[in-house]
Amino acid sequence: MRLRRLLTVVGLGLLLVCSLMGQRWIRDIFPESDYIPTPPDANEKTEFYFARLRYRNVQASGMWAMRGQWTVDYPKADRQFLQGLRRLSRIHANSVEHIVDLVSDDIFNYPFVYVVEAGHWDLPDAQAKKLREFTDRGGFLMTDDFHGTFEWDVFTASLNKGFGDRPIVDIENSDPIFHVLYDLEDRIQVPGIVNYPFTKTYEYDGYEPKWRAVRDDKGRIVVAICHNMDQGDAWEWADSPHYPEKYTSQAYRTGLNYIIYSMTH
Amino acid sequence: MFEFLFKYPWPVYRKGTLVLLSGWPVWLLGLLALAAAVLVALLFLRKPVPKTRAVVLAGIQWVGLLVLLILLWQPALSVSMLKPQQNVVAVVVDASTSMALEGRIGQAKGLLDSGLLEQLKKRFPVRLYRAGRTLERVETVPAQADQPVTNLGEALKGATAESATLPIGAVVLLSDGADNAGGLDSDTMATLRRSRIPVHAVGFGSEQLARDIEVSDVQIVPRSLPDARLSATVTLRQSGFAGKVAKLSVHGDGKVLASRVVKLPEDGQTAREVISFQSGVAGAKSLKVGVDLLEGETNRDNNVLTRLVNVEDRKPRILYIEGEPRWEMKFIRRAAELDRSLQLASILRTTQNKLYRQGTTDGKELEHGFPDTVDELFKYQGLVIGNVEASYFNPVQQGLIKEFVDRRGGGVLFLGGRAALSDGGWNKSEVAEIMPVMLPDRKSTFHRDPATVELAVAGRDSLITRIEEDPEKNISRWKALPYLADYQETGPAKPGALVLAELSPTSKGKFPLLTTQNFGRGRVGVFATGGSWRWQMLQDSKDMSHEVFWQQLLRWLVSSTSEHVSAVTDKAVYSDETRVPFHVEVRDQNYLPASDATVEGHVLGPGGVADLVPMRPVTGQPGVYAGEWKADNAGSYLMEVIAKQGEKELGRDVLTFQREDGVAEHFRTEQNRELLERIAQQTGGRYYKPSDTGRLPEEIEYSDAGISVKETRDIWNAPAAFLLFAALKAGEWFLRRRWGAV
Repeated sequence: MRLRRLLTVVGLGLLLVCSLMGQRWIRDIFPESDYIPTPPDANEKTEFYFARLRYRNVQASGMWAMRGQWTVDYPKADRQFLQGLRRLSRIHANSVEHIVDLVSDDIFNYPFVYVVEAGHWDLPDAQAKKLREFTDRGGFLMTDDFHGTFEWDVFTASLNKGFGDRPIVDIENSDPIFHVLYDLEDRIQVPGIVNYPFTKTYEYDGYEPKWRAVRDDKGRIVVAICHNMDQGDAWEWADSPHYPEKYTSQAYRTGLNYIIYSMTH
Repeated sequence: MFEFLFKYPWPVYRKGTLVLLSGWPVWLLGLLALAAAVLVALLFLRKPVPKTRAVVLAGIQWVGLLVLLILLWQPALSVSMLKPQQNVVAVVVDASTSMALEGRIGQAKGLLDSGLLEQLKKRFPVRLYRAGRTLERVETVPAQADQPVTNLGEALKGATAESATLPIGAVVLLSDGADNAGGLDSDTMATLRRSRIPVHAVGFGSEQLARDIEVSDVQIVPRSLPDARLSATVTLRQSGFAGKVAKLSVHGDGKVLASRVVKLPEDGQTAREVISFQSGVAGAKSLKVGVDLLEGETNRDNNVLTRLVNVEDRKPRILYIEGEPRWEMKFIRRAAELDRSLQLASILRTTQNKLYRQGTTDGKELEHGFPDTVDELFKYQGLVIGNVEASYFNPVQQGLIKEFVDRRGGGVLFLGGRAALSDGGWNKSEVAEIMPVMLPDRKSTFHRDPATVELAVAGRDSLITRIEEDPEKNISRWKALPYLADYQETGPAKPGALVLAELSPTSKGKFPLLTTQNFGRGRVGVFATGGSWRWQMLQDSKDMSHEVFWQQLLRWLVSSTSEHVSAVTDKAVYSDETRVPFHVEVRDQNYLPASDATVEGHVLGPGGVADLVPMRPVTGQPGVYAGEWKADNAGSYLMEVIAKQGEKELGRDVLTFQREDGVAEHFRTEQNRELLERIAQQTGGRYYKPSDTGRLPEEIEYSDAGISVKETRDIWNAPAAFLLFAALKAGEWFLRRRWGAV
């Protein structure tokens, strides 16, 4: 009995050490920089602002809880994506991200909002209802970078507080969101850097990428759900030789399509 | 008193001409008057008295001498008089329904039966007539006011026309003057004048009813799109209810479409009230617009008017081109999608080389971008040009945009944006001519700064800007709208353009936000912002102000856009008139006037009435055709006009009109004294109150109509002349005594 307990503790310890070493190893390949320079035109007044949602994390402990929060990939992913968006489209976009939350009403000034690690959010009832009001007025929410069954359940637990009457549906290939700028019928799973060297592209049990949505009364997508994929990492590491271009290309196209869709539907 | 002083009644002076019976030359009279003036001047100016007094006394002396000289020449009046018993007097009694009010017909009958008729008969043979839609001879004075129409013009023309076979000496008209068959036009009045028969009018009824509300007019557009917000402009008059309130409402399809409480104007004043309502589903609508009855109203049949509105079953198409993805486009599209009557096709430049199309009917529509042919562009009824620079359009396309308004009759709306209006070089394009504003001749007119909005004066009555039903609430509602995300300086409105709404940036003055004008056959608007989307995102999701505003603006853009055939009548309701004139404008495939078309109208009316009305080209107006039809029966009519060029149909149009009988008789029922006086004055007659008709039989005699003789009446011996002479002498004596002048 004692031996079994000892082996368990040692096993868990090894797992922790390996995991931390793995993280460190990945960070050596994809080094986080503490200094992200602010673009000189950051104060320009523009039509479009990339708004990132700041939310409260679900209460949990351990490695899983440490991994996910609203700041993931921030701000490099946002700014690199915006560089591409400005270069590849006619959208008059600001060069830096803008942080919004569901506490104040500032979110209503930004009809497009991006949520990362949505499998970790924990929205109070009032905030979930405000999110619903945001989409009812015409706002568009894009969620990204959450994986597997557990995080799906966490995601929907908060979402359903505001959208309980709205089914979550798979987006058909023919939907305008996949054609508004680029034709994205052949999509692949966009992995996060934790999957390096990308022999596999899924995390947890999120084997299949899911392109899902909540639609409004008119059938327009108001919540675009990117489940089992990580556009954020693909944007963030677009400049890395270690991150495959094919994933970055799709992530940029997806982001562009989603934003133009949000500005036309 | 007049007759005592001047020997004869006033009509003798009015109708007579002055003659001098002495036979001495008139020049001698003038010479003597001049000599008298010189003599008096020499005598008085030599006297040692102040100059002013000398002039006054000399003037009195001279006037006295002048009076004496004139009397020596024996002035008299030459006047025509009807020969007794040789001229017929036509007595016309208005027997229309309005004469039943206040017992007017009874008063008229009483006046005639109590002696007036007898006195007339002593001097002239009298013929009695009853006036309604037409003139009818009667043997006794009518006791009933049962004629559904008053047509005084026709009645008087009928009476005077008797002079062709009878020596008509005068017409005596007993009426309230409430003509409702189009009034007396200038032709009728000229006919009466030419007949030289004086019409003496006796007016009955109050000139202002004691307690009454009347809806005297209702203006509604005759055509509409389904579910459109329409407004009825209601003209109200009242007496006896000043300061009180009443409920104004619109009824249609068997239900109340809109109602609101209005404050009634002061007694005798006219007020205009606007009430808006939804047009509903397609079809011809008969709307009853009016004010609920108040207790004690004298006339209970003049509170409601009926109007026809043809709600057309069509969905105009609007082409919206946007130069870059913008929130404004998304929210305009969403507002338009909620409107079942609009179709919005759009082109969006997503990248430098890609266009994204929405709302197109098939894959071919707009596949090459903005149209560059008449066929392609003119199939739309409206055009919205967003944040697109002028140079994006080639010269042919720019010319087409202008022609789209001028020739096609479409509507174009320009939005603000960083590549719009002056910042987009539109001020230097030929399209600037059609814009309702004078675009500034500089760049940097677009600002991404907040600006509040409010209604301009013209916007308070506009249907485009009517977010709230109540006009006052609407003004407040606009002020409470969230600020715009951006704005653009447009320059001032051009003459004739209307600024409906203004914007106020935080640190500058006011600028036009929404300006509109008509240009050629179409209309143009400038909405100087790309940031009205905040009205949607910054207000509760149930708030519909953004959607309503945009739907109304887009409907304004297209609702008046005519197609190849456009037919109109001169009015929507024909009250007691059977003649219905039509005008049809026909355009060919290129929207140029089609002068070689065959145009026919197919009329359908009550009781299965069906007829074919051919239309003739109007000389000097290319593409315009006219026709006329007689609608005998009251009811609603529908006419479909079809225009063909050879065997090829150019287009068709449907219009509606209404005929009603006896309804107008309940309106304007107070005595129209102004009309009666005008008839009398124009024909040489006189207006009388019933109480003043004692001398009417005698005064009728002074007329040169019929069989008359010229008589000469001395006036040199009129007491007034001697009194004048005596007064001059007395005045001179008084002044001499006072001034001590000898």
